[in-house]
Amino acid sequence: MKKKMLALILSAAMAVSVLAGCGSGADTNTSSDASGTAAAEKENGDKKQETESASGKKDVVKALLPPVSATYQEKVMEYVDAFNAENPDIEIEVTTASWEDMTQKLDVQVNAGSPPDIAFVGSDGISKYLDLGMIIDLNDYLSDELSDFDDNVLNYFRNGDGTYGLPAYCEVQCIGGNKEKLEAAGIDWQNVQKNGWTYDEFREAIKKGVEADGGNTSCYGFVFACAGVTAKDYFSIFVKNADLPASFDKDLKYAYTSKNMLTFLEDLRALIDDGSMPKELSSVDAGKRWNMMLTGQTMITGKGLSSFERSAYNNNKLLEEGSADAVEGSVPVEYIVLPVPVFQGEQHALGAVDGYICLTGEKNPDPEHLKNVAKVAYFLASGDRAANTCQELYLSPVCESGREAYAKLDPIADKNQSNTACVELLTTQIAEARPDIPAELSAKAIKIEDEVIVPKFQGLLSGEVTPEEMYQAIVEAAHEAFGAEGCVAD
Amino acid sequence: MNKTKKKRIKKEAVWAYVFILVPLCTFTVFTIYPVISSIITSFQDYKPLGSEWVGLANYVSTFKSSLFYKALKNTAVYTVITVPIAILMSFIISVMILPFRKGIQSFFKGAFYLPAIASGVALSFVWKWIYDPLPSGLLNSLARVFGFSNQNWLGSSKTAMASLIIMAVFAGLGQNIIIYIAALLGIDPTYYEAADIDGATFLQKVRYVVWPLVKPTTVFLAITSVINGFQSFQTAYLMTGGGPDNATTMAGLLIFNRAFKYFEYGEACAQALLLAVIIAIFAIFQFKVSANDVEY
Repeated sequence: MKKKMLALILSAAMAVSVLAGCGSGADTNTSSDASGTAAAEKENGDKKQETESASGKKDVVKALLPPVSATYQEKVMEYVDAFNAENPDIEIEVTTASWEDMTQKLDVQVNAGSPPDIAFVGSDGISKYLDLGMIIDLNDYLSDELSDFDDNVLNYFRNGDGTYGLPAYCEVQCIGGNKEKLEAAGIDWQNVQKNGWTYDEFREAIKKGVEADGGNTSCYGFVFACAGVTAKDYFSIFVKNADLPASFDKDLKYAYTSKNMLTFLEDLRALIDDGSMPKELSSVDAGKRWNMMLTGQTMITGKGLSSFERSAYNNNKLLEEGSADAVEGSVPVEYIVLPVPVFQGEQHALGAVDGYICLTGEKNPDPEHLKNVAKVAYFLASGDRAANTCQELYLSPVCESGREAYAKLDPIADKNQSNTACVELLTTQIAEARPDIPAELSAKAIKIEDEVIVPKFQGLLSGEVTPEEMYQAIVEAAHEAFGAEGCVAD
Repeated sequence: MNKTKKKRIKKEAVWAYVFILVPLCTFTVFTIYPVISSIITSFQDYKPLGSEWVGLANYVSTFKSSLFYKALKNTAVYTVITVPIAILMSFIISVMILPFRKGIQSFFKGAFYLPAIASGVALSFVWKWIYDPLPSGLLNSLARVFGFSNQNWLGSSKTAMASLIIMAVFAGLGQNIIIYIAALLGIDPTYYEAADIDGATFLQKVRYVVWPLVKPTTVFLAITSVINGFQSFQTAYLMTGGGPDNATTMAGLLIFNRAFKYFEYGEACAQALLLAVIIAIFAIFQFKVSANDVEY
């Protein structure tokens, strides 16, 4: 009997330990995997909220935040402490996650019906949360606060009449070059920064950047990270300047079936065939291309962000100090921000607008709670928070309160002012947001992009798919999704 | 049977059920419930705030999708090539390791098993470094020594699948080797003595003694490897993302994308269930064909 009891106790202990994994995992300010704990978190969160509201205590607002900038996750705790002290009726609980985990963690929580109240996402992701009916229209909870933001940037978080997020910044995605190599190739980079360049000018310029000895190329004119899904960046950033600023035209017809697309694809392929870009481009990932930039293996690289100036600057410092932390084989590089060449039409820039969205997992959420959630989202997206984040990312704030706070900050040491001016100019050229595109059409366009455009584009870069084949594949997929009458035919 | 004995058996049976209850509950919560739930979801347009019944629409959409067939074909090619090569290599390496003394055996077992304990992400970093597409890349440098031209290993549809297969074969060797060595050590030495008396060569002993006696192990490894092969997801996800031009999109990756990228859980569940049926058919067929003359 004693043996049986012992066995029973051990079995029970085993069962408890197995099921312990399903217990509360709502460990705030950690990056633990939430996939198995989402439901429990919701239950615990709801109970806590109920208890506190019943006793007139704090309304808990949960936020899931990635490392938006190098020190963001440290600073956000200070911001939260300040907010909590000023708002005794609200308590912000922050869960941090790496960029890699962020989307997956959020999507698991959303699909479990227990999303965080606030999440930091790219504006291009709002359509899927909108489709699930879990994203909150901030027009219902904020009014004057919305006018703090630049309208053209806030539009990226709009769909129809709704406003579904608040932008933290607008990051221009362009290309960047090595100043020394640009000058050695005779490229007037300051003029390019001010006036842009055409595809033909760009094509000739990157030919001059190639350094080859016999069959061996030691330096390419241009390298863009295209491995796996990053091929999407190359396509998305460049297509804006092929007179295709959005996947739909103003009449809501799918635009990528235009003949401009075919010309654009032929032009991109020509850069590889010229030998200005590596023929193995389809396997060059983001890390590899930055390594190639710092080691002098390419004159121009993409995608380029303004914060890369700091990365290059930091590596130069390490090289000066003789530190072993400098990238192996690297040389001093002064990073120059450059606009994407214009293939056809007007100069446009791709602006990655990221920010805070508010979510709910309830069919009939408490309006008071949502009001508090919106208040917290505005707090995080504005003022000092926006200023500090933007300064770390070498960006200009996109809200008035952020700009005011930014003006009070110490200026960045050794900042290249030409780059600053170029980024400011490019910010004014960011392609217009399209809140008029219905979520359903957006979702179909995203699917075509992921299932047809990106795979075929990878094939185009590796020389296995011709521009004509890729174009035909896009046309067929678009006709199937939108009908021939729903697509541009020129 | 007297009354006391009956009572004792009944009492023991109750205890047996108590002990079974623990794994049964775990199995029900973590296996049965998700399977039933996914069957239900496959007939729904899943939404966290209220799903809608859509009948067979998810299955119809799956059968109409050319990408689904391409993913199945890729998965089948990957599995059909990976499994026999991995099993044959494991068997050969195990036979070669076996004659060594225990310490050296352990060293080789540990060395070959090392990739199995490394995380997939860490492995993918190492293999991406090996498959560096530029001429300075490790494999390209090696290929040049043998007179081959530079290859875009993961970026070309001609070599991307082969690159994943090579990675999968080496990553999975360790586990197979450990199992094979355990099976080889279980062979009664008298079989070898009898073969020696009959004048059998090394290869004849392998062919007529070792191979038949480890057949249950081979059948086990073949069936489990085929199942794992069909469920393969991580390698393509980390190494190629399914590209180029969907040349390495596996069924597992397609299902993952459907569920977690597009939130189309209903269709993802339909595809997962179809994949489960295909795996079950393969496993039963394999078991029927290869396990007929196996004695356990």
